[in-house]
Amino acid sequence: MQFLKILVVTLLLLLPLPAFAYDVLVLQSMHEKGYDEAVNGFKRECRASMRRLVLTDYAEADITRITREEHPKLIVAVGDRALELARKQRSTPVLYMMALNPRPRTGVTGVGMLLDPSRYLFVFDALGTGKVGVIYDPARSGAYLKRAQSAASRNRIDLVLREVRSAKETPAMLQSLRGKVDAIWMLPDTTAVSPASTEAYFLFSQGERVPVVTFADIYLSMGGAVALTIDRHDIGRQLGEMALEVLDGTDVDDLPAGFPRRVVTRTNDGVVRQLDLAGRL
Amino acid sequence: MKRKLRVARYIKNFRVRLYLIFTGTIALLTAAFVSFYVLTDMRSYRSTLEREGRLLATILAQNARLPLFAENTEALTLLAEGTARYPSVLCVTIANVDGVTVAKARNKNEQANDIIEMKVDITSPGQVLSPESVLLGNAGSDEQRVIGRVRLSLDTSGARERLIHLVAASLAIGTLFWIFVSLLCYQILKRVTFSFNLLMGGIEEIGSGKLSARVDLDGDDELGRAANAINAMAASLELRELENLALQEELLKSMRLEVQEEKKLVMARLIQTNKMTSLGLLLSSMAHEINNPNASIRFSGHMIGKMWGDAVPLLDGVMQEEGDFFLGGVPYEKARAAMADNAAKIVENSERIARVVHGLRDYGVGGGAHLRQKLEINSAVSAALSVLACQIRRDVQLTTSLGTGIPVLNGSQQQLEQVLINLILNAMQSFADGRGGVHLSTRYDSSSCEVIVEVQDNGVGIKPETMERLFEPFYSTKLERGGSGLGLYISQYIVAEHGGRLQLTSAPGKGTVARVVLPATPPSVGGVIPAKDVEHPADPLHQVR
Repeated sequence: MQFLKILVVTLLLLLPLPAFAYDVLVLQSMHEKGYDEAVNGFKRECRASMRRLVLTDYAEADITRITREEHPKLIVAVGDRALELARKQRSTPVLYMMALNPRPRTGVTGVGMLLDPSRYLFVFDALGTGKVGVIYDPARSGAYLKRAQSAASRNRIDLVLREVRSAKETPAMLQSLRGKVDAIWMLPDTTAVSPASTEAYFLFSQGERVPVVTFADIYLSMGGAVALTIDRHDIGRQLGEMALEVLDGTDVDDLPAGFPRRVVTRTNDGVVRQLDLAGRL
Repeated sequence: MKRKLRVARYIKNFRVRLYLIFTGTIALLTAAFVSFYVLTDMRSYRSTLEREGRLLATILAQNARLPLFAENTEALTLLAEGTARYPSVLCVTIANVDGVTVAKARNKNEQANDIIEMKVDITSPGQVLSPESVLLGNAGSDEQRVIGRVRLSLDTSGARERLIHLVAASLAIGTLFWIFVSLLCYQILKRVTFSFNLLMGGIEEIGSGKLSARVDLDGDDELGRAANAINAMAASLELRELENLALQEELLKSMRLEVQEEKKLVMARLIQTNKMTSLGLLLSSMAHEINNPNASIRFSGHMIGKMWGDAVPLLDGVMQEEGDFFLGGVPYEKARAAMADNAAKIVENSERIARVVHGLRDYGVGGGAHLRQKLEINSAVSAALSVLACQIRRDVQLTTSLGTGIPVLNGSQQQLEQVLINLILNAMQSFADGRGGVHLSTRYDSSSCEVIVEVQDNGVGIKPETMERLFEPFYSTKLERGGSGLGLYISQYIVAEHGGRLQLTSAPGKGTVARVVLPATPPSVGGVIPAKDVEHPADPLHQVR
C-alpha cells in the first residue's frame, strides 16, 4: 500500500514532463498581427509540436539555456529581433520568416520579406519602362540590388541607382532623378523609405508623371501606381514546408533562403489612368 | 427770445414732433445698421484674414514638410519668400522641431502695430509607416509627428484702412438713406397731418371766439367725423351765444330800471336819514334853547312860591287888620290859594317841560345809550308814551295793560324806550284810514323767565313778501311818508343786544302783533312791578290833527 502511494505521487509529479518536450521553438519578436498571420500559416503547414515564445513578454530570454534544457529540433524565428536572438545559439538549426534583413549563414535559412526582384522587373517590363529609378541604402539593400541589377540586365531594364545613407537624403536623391527615369521602384529599405520621406516619392511621381511601383498596397492610397504585396500567411506555410523537411532530417544548409512565393499585385486605377498605363497592365 | 419762442412753437407742432420722432428713429436705426454692418464686416475681414493666414501657413507647412525633413534650407527659403509675397503677410518663419529658425522671409520693413500671429505645426503624416511595419500589415495611425513649425505674422494695417473706407462709405450711404427717408417721411407726414392741421386750425378759430367759423374738412374718416361734430358744436354754440346776447340785453334793461328804482329808494332813505340827523341836531339845539329859559322859569316859580309863602303871613295880617283886599283884581281870599297853586304849577310844568326836553334830547342825541342799569319795563313803557304823547292822534285809541310782578331788567331804558317808540309808531301808522286801536301790554312768563312786551294793532297788517324784508336796513313801505327803513332794523339790533328777540306776526287785514321778549332775572332776585291798566288819551296840548 505504501508502495502504491509512492507510485501514484511519482506519476503525478512526472505528468507535466511531456509538456516540455517539443520539436519546434517558435521565437516571435512581438505580438504583431503580421507575425501572427505568418505563424498561423506555419502551424497549418507544420503540425509538429512546438512552443511559442513572444520575446516582448519577457524582459530577457536566454535562448542558449532554453535550447540546452528543452532540446527543440528546430527554431523558427519570426521577425528580425527573433532571428538575431536565435543566431546567438548554434546548436539548433534556425528557420526565419518575416525578417527584413536576414543575412543567412550556416545553420540559418528561411523565407525573407522581400519579393524576388524579377517579380518587380516583370511589372516594369509590362509597364514598358526602360529606366527605373531606385533609391537604396547599400548597407541594407545592397545584396538585393545586386540580384536586381543582374535580373534587370537580362530584361533590358536600366536601373538608375541612388544610394542614401540617411533618410534625409531621400528627397534630394529623388530630385536628382528628375527627368532621368520612367518609373520609380520603391524598395522596403528603412533608410530610403522613412515615414517622413515617403511623400517625396509620390510628389516626384506626380511631378514627373512616372509610376511608383511599391511593396505594399498602403502606398497606393498615397499615389503609388502598382503594389506587389507579400502574403504573410503563405510565407508561414512556405516556411512550414521547409520546417517539415528539416524535421524529416534534411540539413538546414541544404535548404537555400527563398523569396516569398506568392505575390499579390494591386494597382491604383486612378493613378494608372492618369499616367496612361491602363493598357499595359 | 423771439427765436426761442419760435423754436418752442415749432417743437410743439404735432407734425414737427412726428417728423422729429421719425427722423430720429430712422437716424438711430441707420446708425445701428451702419455700426452693425461695419462691425460685422470688420470681424468678417479679420476672420478672413486669419483664415487666409492659417490657410497660407497650412499650405506652407505642407510644402515645407519634405524640405524641412531634408534640411533643404534653400527650398525652405524659397517657400517662405513665396508665402511672404502675399500682401497681408508681414513675416514668415520656418523652424524645426527644436525651435531653430531654418528659413525666414519678410514682406515689409515697417513695423505694424496690430499683428496676427499664426502658428501651424509641420507634421509628417501619421498614416505613413516604416517599410517593416507596412510589410507586417500595420495600418497607419492618425497620430501626427511634429517636425517643425511655420509662423506667419499677418499685418492688419489693411484692416484699419478698410475700416476707414468702410465707415466713410457706410456713413455716406447711411446719410443719403436718412435724407431720402426723411424727405419721404416729410411728404407722407404732410399728407397725413394736412387734415389734422385743418381740423386744429378750425378748432383754434372756433376756440378764439369766432363761432361762425367752420372746419372745412370733407371725408368720412375719423377726422372728417370729428370735423362734423365740431361744426355742429360750433353752430350750437353760436345759437346759444345769440340767445345769451338777447337775454343779456333784456337783463341789462331790467337792471337799469331796477337800479333806477333802487336809486330812488336809496336817495329817499338818504334824505330821510339826513332828515333824522337834522332832526336830532334840531332837537338837541331846541332842548338847549328851551332848557335855559325853562330853568329860569322854574327858578322863578320856586322863588315866587317861596316869596309868596313869606308874604302870606304879612298879607294875612293885613287882611285881618284892614279886611279883604284885591290882588290883581282877585280878592285876597281867592288869590291867596291861587297864587300858591300857580307858583306850584309853574314849577311843575317847568319840570315837565324839562323832562320832555330831556327825553327828546336823549332820543335825538342818544345820550345814555350804553348805560346798563336795573330798569322796570313798565317805566320804559310810560316814558315812551310820554315821548309819544304829542304823536298820539285823537282817532287812535291807545290802551295799555301793564303786568304785575314783572322783575326788573338789566339794560338800557333809553334804548328799550326807543324800541317801544318805534313799535308804537309803526302800529299807529298801520291804519289805512288813520283810525284804529293800539294795545300795549307787558307781562312776565315765569316758565321761560322772560319779560314780554306786546304792541298790537288792528291795522292793515303786513304782506308776506314784505314780512321777509322787514328787518333789512333801509327797507320801508313808508318812505314816501317819512319812513327811514331803520326802525325795525335798529330795534331788532337793540333787542338782540339785550339778549332778547323781536318777533312780528301779522295777518293782512287783521293787524300785527310786535312782540319783544327779553330775558329777566326771577322776581325773587330782582324787584317786582305792580300791575296797572291805563288808557292814554291823546294829549290835548300836543294832539295832532
